[in-house]
Amino acid sequence: MSEQLVKLIADMEEEQAVALVKQLLDQGADPVAILDDCRAAMSIIGQRFEAGECFVPELILAGEILRQISDVVKPRLTQTAETKKVGRVVMGTVEGDIHDIGKDIVTFMLDVNGFEVQDLGVDVPAAKFVEAVKDFQPQVVGLSGFLTLAYDPMKNTVKALREAGFTGKVMIGGGQIDEQIRQYAGADGYGKDAMAAVALAKSWVGA
Amino acid sequence: MFTRPDNWNKMTPLERRKARLDSWQNAPVQFVSPEAEAKYTERITRLRKIYDMEPHDRPIADAFMGANEYVVRRKGLQGQDVVYNHDKLREPLLEFHREFQPDVSVGVLPYPGKSWDLLDFKLYVWGGQKLPGTMAIQAVEGEYMTGDEYKDFIADPTAFWLKQYLPRAYGALAPLAMLPDFPRISESVDTIDLLLPFGMPPFQEMLHKMMEAGNELMKVLGSIGQTMGMIAAEGFPAMGLNIVKTPFDYLGDTLRGTKGILMDMYRRPKDLLAACEAYVPVLIKSIVSASDRTNAPAVLYVLHKGADAFMSRAQFEKFYWPTWKQVMLALYEEGITSYLFIEGSYNQRLDYLAEMPEKSLVCHFDKSDMRRVKEVLSDKFIIAGNVPASLMSAGTTDEVRAYCAELVELYADAPAYIMAHGCYFENTTDDKLRAFLESVRK
Repeated sequence: MSEQLVKLIADMEEEQAVALVKQLLDQGADPVAILDDCRAAMSIIGQRFEAGECFVPELILAGEILRQISDVVKPRLTQTAETKKVGRVVMGTVEGDIHDIGKDIVTFMLDVNGFEVQDLGVDVPAAKFVEAVKDFQPQVVGLSGFLTLAYDPMKNTVKALREAGFTGKVMIGGGQIDEQIRQYAGADGYGKDAMAAVALAKSWVGA
Repeated sequence: MFTRPDNWNKMTPLERRKARLDSWQNAPVQFVSPEAEAKYTERITRLRKIYDMEPHDRPIADAFMGANEYVVRRKGLQGQDVVYNHDKLREPLLEFHREFQPDVSVGVLPYPGKSWDLLDFKLYVWGGQKLPGTMAIQAVEGEYMTGDEYKDFIADPTAFWLKQYLPRAYGALAPLAMLPDFPRISESVDTIDLLLPFGMPPFQEMLHKMMEAGNELMKVLGSIGQTMGMIAAEGFPAMGLNIVKTPFDYLGDTLRGTKGILMDMYRRPKDLLAACEAYVPVLIKSIVSASDRTNAPAVLYVLHKGADAFMSRAQFEKFYWPTWKQVMLALYEEGITSYLFIEGSYNQRLDYLAEMPEKSLVCHFDKSDMRRVKEVLSDKFIIAGNVPASLMSAGTTDEVRAYCAELVELYADAPAYIMAHGCYFENTTDDKLRAFLESVRK
């Protein structure tokens, strides 16, 4: 493990982190070990987020740093790293709502926490969630919505999932989502931020 | 229109504030009846006392900040009507006021759908265009200024807006990029540079489209103006708010996008700070002139990216607060009150707001702790908030009543309080709205 790399990523030293990855690879470092360092750094960022020491800018920038590192590392991977996935989640912003930032952050945090995530994008109709659940067989569905007009589409989506026989858990989240809306939508849980979403999903899959 | 008194230059900020509030309060209205006039006087006098933080009989309740779609949706109108069918809004709006007798008037925001269509406006999508007819509008974030263009913006915000931003935000305004750099137009031959675009067919076509869009806009403003005039005539005063944003939010919402600006805090901190600084004089000038033109005593900030969950206190203190505060202080000097619509939570920001002078702010909260707000801010500023949108949408009437009653009790001994919603809501029921509006009437 490169403690230096973990620290650079966790401290948002974007250029230095990417440069160090290139240097390490040139020196023959194991690409899989670099991806492990990324996960270790994300775990630190996640802890800092929960402790109120880092916020949305850091989550977004961390995602960007990891994307750049991944672009450098992936071509060097001789075999796909067999990381054991802890569970499957279908994510999407509900119909009528085109906001993606919150959904993207949750998707990213689930991914770095070992979940296999299928991201359906924004303005996703209930039928598309139903279809994805049939194909992907997730344990958890995450519904994102930034606006108050997401309340009814969330409710309709939960209803459609249940009617289609989905027996897994549904979590909802977004700026104006609270316990009242969880009950209204008939969801199993709501998360006030990305870390809460990860905690919910982990608790449901027993990770 | 606000006309400055002759002794304006000798007046203190609070005297100027009083002059603006007097002008707003005494603006002429042709009432439909003496009863309507009496009601209007009672309502605007109460609201004035709240603005002045002087003793008054009861708080007011305002679920709208001047505009809300529910008041027309309840009569079967849809989002696209708010964008395209402004005459259709009149009867539902008048009916709402007659039935609910609100403390302040409510309208709908004057979205000029046909003008947007003509100009190919890109910043939003709307009902009847790319959204289903049931919906009104939604913002579409984009990057309208690249990171490398900060230098252009900082050097000359107005030129950037005219020649780079507007051509991107409105497809039909692309030819604006042909405009010359105006400060160089001085000598005889420079008339060529000044007029050259105006002789070119694409530019001329754009001008024709702008005139057509302007004509459509005048129809919208005429229709909504007539409606709001009729509402005032029946006895309902308006809050008197122009709309603005903070320098950081203009850059983030409009130019760089949320992701862009949040990463700029790490990637281009100096550029970002310089751009916020460049905004300050532009905003002050623009708001003062809008306040004079509209006779509105206050300016409404719809606050986005400075909330607790968005950035750290250190980032707020470095990037968000200083230039925003500069704008608010300059407006205070001009007698203009800043009405802050604080979406999300500001529990970690109350001490910054407390730095502002007495009566300079109306602080309208969404998810902040209203007990703490009362302790820290209610002696200095007018406080409004914070009935959750989730409660108005999905709660029961009893829950709304109970939540409002708690707020009324909590703020019973505060100098100035407005019962208000948290986040904007589109859907509720008449019963819940009635419970909300009646919560302050004892």
